[in-house]
Amino acid sequence: MLGLPTVLITLLPKVSAEMGPPRAIHPARFTLGDPLGLPDRPDIQRAVLLDALRRWQAREEPGHIWELEYPAYTPDPAVTNNGEIIRE
Amino acid sequence: MPMSRRCIPYSPRRRELAETTFALVTTAGVHLRDQEPFDLAGDNSWRLIPGDVASDALMVTHEHYDHRHADQDINCVFPIDRLRELAAEGVIGGVGDKHLGFMGYTQKVRDLYERAAPEMAKVIERSRADAVLLTAG
Repeated sequence: MLGLPTVLITLLPKVSAEMGPPRAIHPARFTLGDPLGLPDRPDIQRAVLLDALRRWQAREEPGHIWELEYPAYTPDPAVTNNGEIIRE
Repeated sequence: MPMSRRCIPYSPRRRELAETTFALVTTAGVHLRDQEPFDLAGDNSWRLIPGDVASDALMVTHEHYDHRHADQDINCVFPIDRLRELAAEGVIGGVGDKHLGFMGYTQKVRDLYERAAPEMAKVIERSRADAVLLTAG
């Protein structure tokens, strides 16, 4: 069994890094709950998805999580758990 | 069992992006509206999401992140519509016929690692997918 090549979009890069994901991106400063960005913003969602697919294609060094910037993304102040897990 | 002691095996890609069919696997608690919700106290069960699912037939059961955006547009955590667009444009080869949702919150880490995760991997391996996009809430 050769397995399936994966790519991860994570908003908790420190947690994800413990597992050494083969390929991963971290959209910087995105609020937890928004791994692909904001609702009804296909432009941002598409940009994140395309970056993830590029990382998938690139034969990256396993364990490295690419931190990427998306200037079009603005956190929604109504979302209350910015980077925090609500309940342990 | 500290999961950090076990790294994920590296699986090289065997096709180009434009020839590859992608499945979605998410820990964001995504499931069909008519499927049983996840147990918020911890749940290693998973939900099979058919490839032809309508994005508005999906919902989130999860208490560990604020999912109001995903409630409004599931593509925030499960980019099924964006993936279909890229398939239609020929950027990727296709969208898988099976996707998986689970919650990713559990006290039973060993069960997740030794039973549930291999079960999920088998479902995807036996599907049309050649590769997987993983998302977390």
